[in-house]
Amino acid sequence: MKDRYYAGFMQEKPRWMRSLADLRGRLFVFITDAIALIYLWTMVSYCWNTFVFHTKSFVTLPWWVMLLVVIEAAALWENFGVSIGMKLLGLRLTSADGSAPSLGNRALRYLTWHFSGLPLVGVMAAKDGQAWHDRLSGLRVVGAKDVETERYPWYRRSWSIALLVLLIVTLVAAMLVTRVDFVKFFTGAPKTGRIWRAFLSPEWSLLGDGIRLLIVTIFMAFMATLFGVLIAVPLSFLAARNLTQGLLGRTVYTIVRGAMSITRSIEPIIWAIIFVVWVRVGAFPGVLALFVHSVADLTKLYSERLESIDPGPVEAIRATGANRVQVIIYGIIPQIINPYLSFTLYRWDINVRMATIIGIVGGGGIGQRLYQYTKLWRWSEAGLLMLLIMLVVWAMDYTSSRLRARLG
Amino acid sequence: MADHLVVEHLTKVYKRGDVLALDDISFSVKKGEFLVLIGLSGSGKSTLLRCINRLIEPTAGKVYFDGIDVTAASSKDLRHLRRRMAMIFQQFNLVKRSSVLTNVLSGRLGYVNPWLSAAHQFPHPEIKMAMANLERVGIPEQAYKRADELSGGQQQRVGIARALMQAPELLMADEPVSALDPATSHSVMRYLELMNREDGVTVIASLHFLSLARRYGTRILALKDGKIVYEGLPSEIDEARFKKIYGEEAEQVEVH
Repeated sequence: MKDRYYAGFMQEKPRWMRSLADLRGRLFVFITDAIALIYLWTMVSYCWNTFVFHTKSFVTLPWWVMLLVVIEAAALWENFGVSIGMKLLGLRLTSADGSAPSLGNRALRYLTWHFSGLPLVGVMAAKDGQAWHDRLSGLRVVGAKDVETERYPWYRRSWSIALLVLLIVTLVAAMLVTRVDFVKFFTGAPKTGRIWRAFLSPEWSLLGDGIRLLIVTIFMAFMATLFGVLIAVPLSFLAARNLTQGLLGRTVYTIVRGAMSITRSIEPIIWAIIFVVWVRVGAFPGVLALFVHSVADLTKLYSERLESIDPGPVEAIRATGANRVQVIIYGIIPQIINPYLSFTLYRWDINVRMATIIGIVGGGGIGQRLYQYTKLWRWSEAGLLMLLIMLVVWAMDYTSSRLRARLG
Repeated sequence: MADHLVVEHLTKVYKRGDVLALDDISFSVKKGEFLVLIGLSGSGKSTLLRCINRLIEPTAGKVYFDGIDVTAASSKDLRHLRRRMAMIFQQFNLVKRSSVLTNVLSGRLGYVNPWLSAAHQFPHPEIKMAMANLERVGIPEQAYKRADELSGGQQQRVGIARALMQAPELLMADEPVSALDPATSHSVMRYLELMNREDGVTVIASLHFLSLARRYGTRILALKDGKIVYEGLPSEIDEARFKKIYGEEAEQVEVH
């Protein structure tokens, strides 16, 4: 049965398809080099435009000019040096006898490449993994391991020079794009002195109020975690690949996983904005925002743990004649209970920290009040609230990590 | 004696990789036999055992247990059939974090009230039975330890106690001693022999060593590439047959 399958599989594709498939690595090399060069071009032109013309623009020349230059540059690079793409795939150019190719042969290959490699015809007609332009120029593309590579120092290898240039250009362009200003950073510092001084003399009369708000915040995190767990535990079974088999199972798996990854990619603060519109300002929208994000996050963590359980005990319990529920209770739950508790504690810890932030958009709790004080420039009051937040976050962090260490 | 287990034209194709694991396997086992499956790794022994109780769904063919068509059984009937055929495993397959007693009791899951078992409640007679079975395999003092605190040999004995809880008519052992040292192997094999001789349980065991197969088996079935290449008495396997089963380069290794 399997013999027939493989025999049928081997014969049907035409030669040009097989040649293309054999040489797809070379295509990858060319595209990689082209992308690297396009990137270099745009970044250099951005820096140039900023310094010389004082404009913010990445592209100034017509696109076809850039394309033409990039194609020629990539071809030159690959024929006269070792390009980044060649380095990545471990390909090298040698002459037929294995020695280093001469400049004349390299030039010949570069010229013939234009009517063989560029329109792909010479690649489709490749024999033994070598295209027309390889054979015409008497050169071969071989694996780097098969070549006695000349040991140039790193600063004479074209790919490492290119990487260095890419890094420097990226750094310069990134500084220009993000408008990094070291002068401002240092000259502006004294203006914040007032804030730091106020933080050091917190407004203690606000202590009672602050603690009340803190309790609200901790309860927000608690509610979000509790309801999050109640939903996430059953969902995690539907989002575990090893437990969802068959067409229906796969469909459910895909839907749950997809929905959860979309939900998780939206930050709690965005959810809070949505829920503030939905149920009005207060602690409740904060709870809802943390709840939604907790469900998505916990479902992912839980289901990944489920996917790595030992299938042996599950099989053994099934073999005793146990039903589906019994298999879960005796074969699966003992394997996941501790990691689940550990993930839950971890998530509660995160939720407490998040709950202090979420107030900024109207999600209630201590964060909302903190935000109001900072808007009013009342730094002493803000300082006290920040002190309380620091205490709680530290305490949560400490207890949850201690508990998780014990759960192993 | 009547045939206890009949396997007809059993075939299994794994879709992933298009592997033919079992190729038209037919044989039957009489009540009280100790059938040993031998063959190289990947010859289909594990798949064959799992197709009998449908832990793996066979692609084609029939399995009859005590005259009942296992391959056509509904999921409820299948659970009732599985109660009667216990299984032990190469890697013991105990729930490592649970206690030894809980592991043994789980062998009873097919019999007890599912609602009570969901709350980890077992009736008193079941617990007494579990202790008695632990006593039988010689480790009653380990009952309240966590399963992964035990040595390999002890863990396999827990596996046997779990199988005993099912009061099985057929015991399938998938490489039960491959993970154990030779001395422990024999003590585990003797428990299987005891079940076979004293309780009249039919045993199908896959074994790696021919010497173990000769010592414990009443009949041998050899698999190669998913096909039966030999069926007969243990004493009849000579050098030529051995080479046919294990390949030309194989040497016989003895376990004493």
